[in-house]
Amino acid sequence: MVDGRQDGNRRAWLLRSLAGAISATVVAVFYPVACFLRPRRATVSGALEVVAPFKVNELPDASGNPFNFGGKPCLVVLTPEGTKRLASGARLRPDDVRAFDAVCTHLQCTVEYRADHDDIFCPCHDGVYDLNGRTVSGPPPRPLEMYKVTLRGAAGKEEVVVSRKS
Amino acid sequence: MDRVDRLYCFLRERLGLDDLQRLASKKRIPIHGSTHFYYFGGMALFLFMIQIVTGILLSLYYKPSPDQAFESVEAIVTEVDFGWLIRSAHSWSANLLIGVLFLHLLTTYLMRAYRRPREITWVTGVMLLGLFMAFGFSGYLLPWNELAFFATRVGTAIVGIVPVIGPQLLLLARGGEEVTGDTLARFYSLHVVVLPLLTFTLLGAHLFLVQKHGMSVPGREAGVHDDRAGSPSMPFVPDFLLRDMVGWYLALALLAALSALFPWELGTKADPFSSAPEGIQPEWYFLFMFQTLKLIPAYIGPFNGEVIGVLFFGMCGLVVLLTPFLDGGRNSRAVLNVLAAIAVAFFIVMTAWGWFSKADQQLWRIVLGALLTTIALFLLVPSTNPKTGARQMLYGFMALAVVVLLAAACWEVLA
Amino acid sequence: MTSLPKHSVARVLVLLALGHAWSAPPSCGQPAAEQIGVLPDDYSCIVCHLKGGTLWTETTPIVDEQALAGDVHWQKGLRCHDCHGGSPTLDAFKNHRDDPTFHSLRPRDKIPGFCGRCHSNIDYMRQYNPSARTDQEQEYWTSGHGRRLKASSEGENPQIDMAVATCVDCHGHHGILAVNDSNSPVYVKHVAETCARCHSDAKLMAGRTYHDRPLGHDQFDQWKLSVHGRAMLEKDDLSAATCNNCHGNHGALPPGVNSVANACGACHGKIAKLFAETQMKHKFEDSGLPGCVTCHGKHDISQPSDEMLGITDGTVCARCHNPGNPQYGATVAGADVARKMRSGLDQLKHEIELAETNMREAERLGMQVRGPRFDLRQAFDALTNARTLVHSFSPGPIEAALGEGLKVTSEVNGAAKGALREYTIRRIWLACSLVPILIVVGLLLYCIRSLPTPTHSG
Repeated sequence: MVDGRQDGNRRAWLLRSLAGAISATVVAVFYPVACFLRPRRATVSGALEVVAPFKVNELPDASGNPFNFGGKPCLVVLTPEGTKRLASGARLRPDDVRAFDAVCTHLQCTVEYRADHDDIFCPCHDGVYDLNGRTVSGPPPRPLEMYKVTLRGAAGKEEVVVSRKS
Repeated sequence: MDRVDRLYCFLRERLGLDDLQRLASKKRIPIHGSTHFYYFGGMALFLFMIQIVTGILLSLYYKPSPDQAFESVEAIVTEVDFGWLIRSAHSWSANLLIGVLFLHLLTTYLMRAYRRPREITWVTGVMLLGLFMAFGFSGYLLPWNELAFFATRVGTAIVGIVPVIGPQLLLLARGGEEVTGDTLARFYSLHVVVLPLLTFTLLGAHLFLVQKHGMSVPGREAGVHDDRAGSPSMPFVPDFLLRDMVGWYLALALLAALSALFPWELGTKADPFSSAPEGIQPEWYFLFMFQTLKLIPAYIGPFNGEVIGVLFFGMCGLVVLLTPFLDGGRNSRAVLNVLAAIAVAFFIVMTAWGWFSKADQQLWRIVLGALLTTIALFLLVPSTNPKTGARQMLYGFMALAVVVLLAAACWEVLA
Repeated sequence: MTSLPKHSVARVLVLLALGHAWSAPPSCGQPAAEQIGVLPDDYSCIVCHLKGGTLWTETTPIVDEQALAGDVHWQKGLRCHDCHGGSPTLDAFKNHRDDPTFHSLRPRDKIPGFCGRCHSNIDYMRQYNPSARTDQEQEYWTSGHGRRLKASSEGENPQIDMAVATCVDCHGHHGILAVNDSNSPVYVKHVAETCARCHSDAKLMAGRTYHDRPLGHDQFDQWKLSVHGRAMLEKDDLSAATCNNCHGNHGALPPGVNSVANACGACHGKIAKLFAETQMKHKFEDSGLPGCVTCHGKHDISQPSDEMLGITDGTVCARCHNPGNPQYGATVAGADVARKMRSGLDQLKHEIELAETNMREAERLGMQVRGPRFDLRQAFDALTNARTLVHSFSPGPIEAALGEGLKVTSEVNGAAKGALREYTIRRIWLACSLVPILIVVGLLLYCIRSLPTPTHSG
């Protein structure tokens, strides 16, 4: 036989531990929820619009160029006219910055911009494209796909927003 | 403590907490062989709450356009912290919810809880079940993956079979001739706006009616304890609430385990122009209709087989909805039980058939499916009265499940 | 000699002929009748040379009106006499052979000059195309076809080779289309077929030789299945090499043994450059081996594969660098290099495959590996680059490229494994979350048991 006082103590203990355990589960449930609400890291996946991880004035040798555009590399190129305009402090024209799918149409190597030749070059088989993406020489069978570029932000330090032409 | 007390007093005065307390303390749950059945309603409510919370969370990142739907779900699963968990929980909980609702419907039917004065409660319940199935159907398309896309194409095509208004209905459902981005937008709006509004309204009515009429006691139980003392019962708070909570916590544990062990797969992005992959199937709770429509011959006499099938299921739905008004009273018990047995057997057989005829059928799946059915039925045994038909019916179902198990196994081995 | 009807009668007859053309069923091509209809009424060529013309007989060469109307020359305004000479305003029959102003196409060796009358004359051609080439005829006479034609028409008793190709055999005669017209037989996609009309004809090619080797007749069939032929015919890749890219067009000749690498290098520049700097090139030249063709084949060039490299059976290196039976003075050191290059490529391929498998597994489990997947592209680049560098036939550059690739794959593999580890951690975490849940369940059950037994309500 247990007397009333002991019974009450046990009840109080039971309720306390129950409350504690329930709070623990509530925390366990709401921790993931709170984490879910935290903004995700700034990677954009397959979305139609991606902001390049560099500013216009870092071109042509910006680190992170080509960057990940929905799983494919995207090469951003500042044309010679654009370079001159940038150096003289003039406002860039929309056509001065161009973005291409940086996958060579020959054997899918990643192409690069050659500032000294003003062309886009695939080092694997010496494929050469002009700054409109058209094949100049070498084995590439098709031109590079060109993306739409929008510049935004302070003049001379614009962000490059690349989107797929639809 | 003082402050807490003062706050409590403050709220009690303004919110009328006393009334609520009185109501809660007055509510009692009858105790009898089928008391277990009362858990299903609360369980469904709990799972619905989970759906609301996880659904709201998912909508923070989801983008309902064919360009981005798949990608955004992919991003939720891969990029957002715990996104995989929330998405898996939403999908799993949806399936559990439908399962629990089916059981809730079946047990309510077996207890004849829909009889006077609870007819409207039943009607709202059946309508809620329909709404949740619509939730499932519309939600299935949202990730815009291949399987969902083609299953939706097939599913909406069935709507088009309805005589006279079918074609118009199809246009309305798809938002065009084909399943397109507009369909996705429609289904999204349905899933997150229209259906929740309807559900809240009906659910409010359903719960209000349950409180108003109290818990129904099955006729036979009421008969057993027909004495002055009344039937045995327990208070809702705390006795039944604690028991309910055990159920909820077990559901939570199951959900966590399922989400962790079997993360809901995303599949591949839908390509409207590709040909349909093999093994296109709707969610399991539509499978029995899907399979039946597949089995019906193209023409029955002069009539189109599919039209007959669709009309048949329409009639079935109507019969279920209007059960309280079709019930002939005490004398029709045998008829009612047989009808239920046939319906459940039909559901199980057709679902099993559809499930096992999947292209990637595997022996363990068959065994698992039928085994689970048997176990589930076995668990129901103690809750039935040994002397009544319900127990025998249960044995019947179990035998049926075993037969399905054996038949499917034989088919698999022979084929 | 037959006397012609009076001018007016001829006129009526011409109109009748035109009427016939008008009533012909409308064709889907050029409005032929309309084109012919713009001829002056007194244009007399058609009196004989149009089927159904007044003086037409079974043996008179005829002109297909429809083809003529689509002819690029016709469309530029040239008429019969502009090419053939003679006069279109004759009012009496005159044998062309007696007409000094008539340009004959016979015998066959006159054809190049016939076309060249305009096409070799820049002053004339400039009117139609300021940048037109005028060296085709000159080139032609240097080609295999031209040389043979000339040789066969010279000497005391010329026996002109009637099978040798001249301008009209490739370009057509009445109905010549511009080269960039996709229906032209010399449009880039049709070049091979056009060459094959003769060069796949076993009867025609029988007994013909070039440098004392038989010409053969299976080049087109081989090309069709080659990497170039498939690119052109199946993928519509118009930049793929067809006959004229290696053999030249009007000056068609097989490239010489030592210029093969230059022919291939026209497109495959980097490889040609690498090859030009190797010892292998000189060895090939000394041994009379035809450069690229030695390993890759000529008309039947297939997609190169790593299986070609190394010294195991079936590799191209082993043909010469066979330790047991070296050919052309091939060295054992060379065999060693081949083996090393092959094993390097295989290793990188294996690592890439491993990384792919790991990432697929991680993706299947819903883990984020988009970053590593993107990085893995660099490994592919390195692999392709290394494959190109094989043509330097020295282990240094290829090892550098492979090393870069391997660095990437090891990073990617690390990331993929990290993702898989995280997945395990997730499951453990979830298992842990079950503990408080089950504790709560236990406490609840205990709580329920400690409640007073339910009472019978009053």
